[in-house]
Amino acid sequence: MPDLSECRERDDVPTYYERPLLKAPHWEWNVVTYLFLGGIMGGLGLIQLIAHPERPQERRLKRTVRITSFILAAGNPAILITHLGRPERFLNMLRIVKIKSPMSLGVWGLVLYSGAAGANVVRELAIDGVLPRWMRLLAPGFLAPLQALLGAFTAGYTGVLLSATANPFWGSGKRHIPAASVCSGLASASALASLLSTFEGNHAVVHKLERLEMVAGAAELLILNDFKRAAGAYGAPFFKGKRGERLLTYTVVAGTLAPLALNLIGQAVKLPKPIDAVRTTLASALTLVGGYVLRESLIEAGKESARDPRAAFRQPR
Amino acid sequence: MANGFFTDTTLCIGCKACEVACKQWNELPSDGFVFTGESYDNTSELSGTTWRHVAFVEQMAIDHQGELQDRWLMSSDVCKHCTNAGCHEACPTGAIIRNEFGAVFIQPDVCNGCGYCVVSCPFGVVDLIEKFDPDGTHYNLASLATSRLDARATAVQQSGGVAGKCTLCYDRQRLGFVPACAKACPTESIQFGDLDELRERAHARVERLSERGVSAQLYGADDVGGGIGALNAFFLLTDRPETYNLPAQPVLPSTRQPAGYTAAAVAALGLALAGWMIFRNA
Ligand code: SF4
Ligand code: SF4
Repeated sequence: MPDLSECRERDDVPTYYERPLLKAPHWEWNVVTYLFLGGIMGGLGLIQLIAHPERPQERRLKRTVRITSFILAAGNPAILITHLGRPERFLNMLRIVKIKSPMSLGVWGLVLYSGAAGANVVRELAIDGVLPRWMRLLAPGFLAPLQALLGAFTAGYTGVLLSATANPFWGSGKRHIPAASVCSGLASASALASLLSTFEGNHAVVHKLERLEMVAGAAELLILNDFKRAAGAYGAPFFKGKRGERLLTYTVVAGTLAPLALNLIGQAVKLPKPIDAVRTTLASALTLVGGYVLRESLIEAGKESARDPRAAFRQPR
Repeated sequence: MANGFFTDTTLCIGCKACEVACKQWNELPSDGFVFTGESYDNTSELSGTTWRHVAFVEQMAIDHQGELQDRWLMSSDVCKHCTNAGCHEACPTGAIIRNEFGAVFIQPDVCNGCGYCVVSCPFGVVDLIEKFDPDGTHYNLASLATSRLDARATAVQQSGGVAGKCTLCYDRQRLGFVPACAKACPTESIQFGDLDELRERAHARVERLSERGVSAQLYGADDVGGGIGALNAFFLLTDRPETYNLPAQPVLPSTRQPAGYTAAAVAALGLALAGWMIFRNA
């Protein structure tokens, strides 16, 4: 048998008729939404902790954020279920706890988070007098930091879920994708909280929330920038071409830089109330769109990366 | 005891008896009538319902003496039943287990079709099986088969919407039989048995080939690197792994988790600190 492997150039990587090695994820809008809302949920967990209970406006923010986070935590599993091949077997995820499986830990994180968030909502309603006052005892004080901790985990896991797979692009962001997920989650959570506070007329807290949104958004941009450098060729499906342009337009420019500018104006200039409300609404909406497009781009780039046999032959460590 | 496959690609004649035997024994539906036009391979890849796939490589080149040389490489691909299996670690329902024969097995009645194993296999083996749709066109191309399947949907079809891959013929092994593909292979290109014995045989085969002037290498008989360890289904190749659509550098996905969780924790801590400072003042 002749040995033809020596006749080829050494660095000429053969492929099998350019066919993909890996299977692409089957994930569609539902998983994108699940990750997006998971990030927001996580961010809200932090905000409900740091809002000061003694200041009336922040008390009110705490209440709003807790109720919103509980609604998201209760609704998100429903979205996750829609992506299963066998939705009726969703509860099989709760048969076991598997430390090595981000999907398993994430579902458990979500379950515990909804428990903590639910108890904290009961506390709020008991303080309000909607529920009997003794029911406050159902949510002892440690549940607030616990919800924040579980929130941080939930937001981070939405990144590890992607980066700890065999997908070459996702794997190339083993640090960047989880860190960016946390930042994006908190930026979106702050945006949602300022939006809700504006609608409630609770304007006093909006500027603080917007400062938090600015910090998280700036951190996200720095991480994405470093990711582009670190990912090299693995990052092409995400940073280059049509998807790269989309990311630049929606997540970087419209979703982070524009709200950053709008929020800076809000901090620097004292605008009349109605105009300021419009500014907040616009900035928040843009941040939320940017957060969604980030998750969507991550998933879609993963699909393209899976179809590239050369990337899959040398999987990033 | 761990059993596995040693696939010696120098013996493969590309007859696809293994593919057919696997489909028959496991009652797997047809892939439809596809003509790739690339080679004699019209199966193209492993899937949720194709558990053996014979790759067919045609090589032609001018050698150093200016002579035209050509050769055919054929290799029957299969799930590697990895020592540290990405699919096994990733499965959140515990549907994927390691059975008493050392094989990685998906319990079809436990799997809920989350698809996380699909993106966690470094070899692109496991995939979701489409839900069986008697009116759909997916399995209908072989109309004869469809009419039979309509009346008696197989176990796999009844459990469509779940992940599927080679079981290393769990049922046959329990009966003391050799897996269907190994049984059907007319050239003993697919050898089944105790792994220690197979590895020994494989190393000896590489040496024998080298004496005859054929340079061959084993893929997966020993640690493939990246944290995966050795493969319970390993191969003897005469060209680079990529030629057969095998990764030169596979990586176990879970090895990236510590870095990921740490990065997330650092980001969360930093932002929490910033948030605390922002909200501290009145
Ligand atoms: S080759 Fe893929 S499907 Fe087979 S055991 Fe390894 S990780 Fe699982
Ligand atoms: S699709 Fe099934 S076997 Fe695969 S990870 Fe999900 S539950 Fe486990």
